[in-house]
Amino acid sequence: MMLDEQQLQKLLRIKRFEQPPPGYFDRALIEFHRRQREELLRRSATLIWWERFVSGLGNFRVPSYAYGAAFGAFVVVATIVGSGLWAPYQDTADLSANRVVLSGPEAQEVAVNRLALSGNLDWSTFHHTASSPKVVPVIRPSQTALPRYVLDGRPVSYEASFSF
Amino acid sequence: MEDQNLPDDETLVRRAQNGETRAFDLLWQKYSPRIYSLIYNMTANHEDSNDLLLEVFAKAYRSINGFRGKSSFYTWIHAIAVNMTINFVKKRGRRFQLSLDDLDTNVQNDKELIDLAATNSPIREVDLSELQQRLNEAMMKLSVEHRAVVTMFDIQGMPHAEIAKILGIPEATVRSRLFYAHRQLQNYLEEFRKK
Repeated sequence: MMLDEQQLQKLLRIKRFEQPPPGYFDRALIEFHRRQREELLRRSATLIWWERFVSGLGNFRVPSYAYGAAFGAFVVVATIVGSGLWAPYQDTADLSANRVVLSGPEAQEVAVNRLALSGNLDWSTFHHTASSPKVVPVIRPSQTALPRYVLDGRPVSYEASFSF
Repeated sequence: MEDQNLPDDETLVRRAQNGETRAFDLLWQKYSPRIYSLIYNMTANHEDSNDLLLEVFAKAYRSINGFRGKSSFYTWIHAIAVNMTINFVKKRGRRFQLSLDDLDTNVQNDKELIDLAATNSPIREVDLSELQQRLNEAMMKLSVEHRAVVTMFDIQGMPHAEIAKILGIPEATVRSRLFYAHRQLQNYLEEFRKK
């Protein structure tokens, strides 16, 4: 005859009587302490610090007033930047004006004048005609070539030598 | 083993979080038998249970500062134990031997066992140590997830809701796992009877 549900449950409850030997839990606690001490000695200080840090993060709670303070700080910064009292990207804006390629004759003139006024424009590198719509820097091949050095009267080259 | 005079868990956890090792020892004293029983009934091996028990408490000790008290300490440490044991059993695979603890001599006087032996059930046909062996072999044929549910419900007497919290699954899943596990156990024990 097959066990019914109740009989099975009663049978399973017998497993509660399977017990470790007497005094087992006290001995296991001593073993637990021993392992803890060993682990503490084995672990580096950095690891211990890291574990405490990670564990501390779990407990970290952002105080409720921090959200208000952060929003307030954002409003103040936005007001200062928005009103133009402080423009942290002024220099960068000027630099971006040095980007040369512009379309249209007016834009070309503005760009060229700006560079010329700032003294950054090397006229010799530009091939500029009235009909050309863009300002195109002309770079000679010699400017892009790798430097060549002469040692002991013989030129050094990256090309393969065929003189054995 | 559980001492009625022990402070409540919340106090002990707070003290342990403040670095008082004695408080953690009291938590050990309170929960180690239950945790051991949970692991033992899932592994059916005393040596593995011993190792896992120490590892579970070591992990709890390391993580005690991260315990926020959203669940009870009881649920928290049971969840650690179940997860670690499930991982262990899956890693161990089929390579294991039963290494059973002795049955407490009080089992002979257990009313439920006496009642059961009196009925027309397989229990009449086997002695206690054989019954223990068969029960454990049948348990080991269950998947580890089913074994966990049977251990907590049938052996440890936990309510469905508590098991659901520990395993992080809906209560309905706990009930369905129990249903299928019981069916399987009934079949396994029937096979033994026919031998």
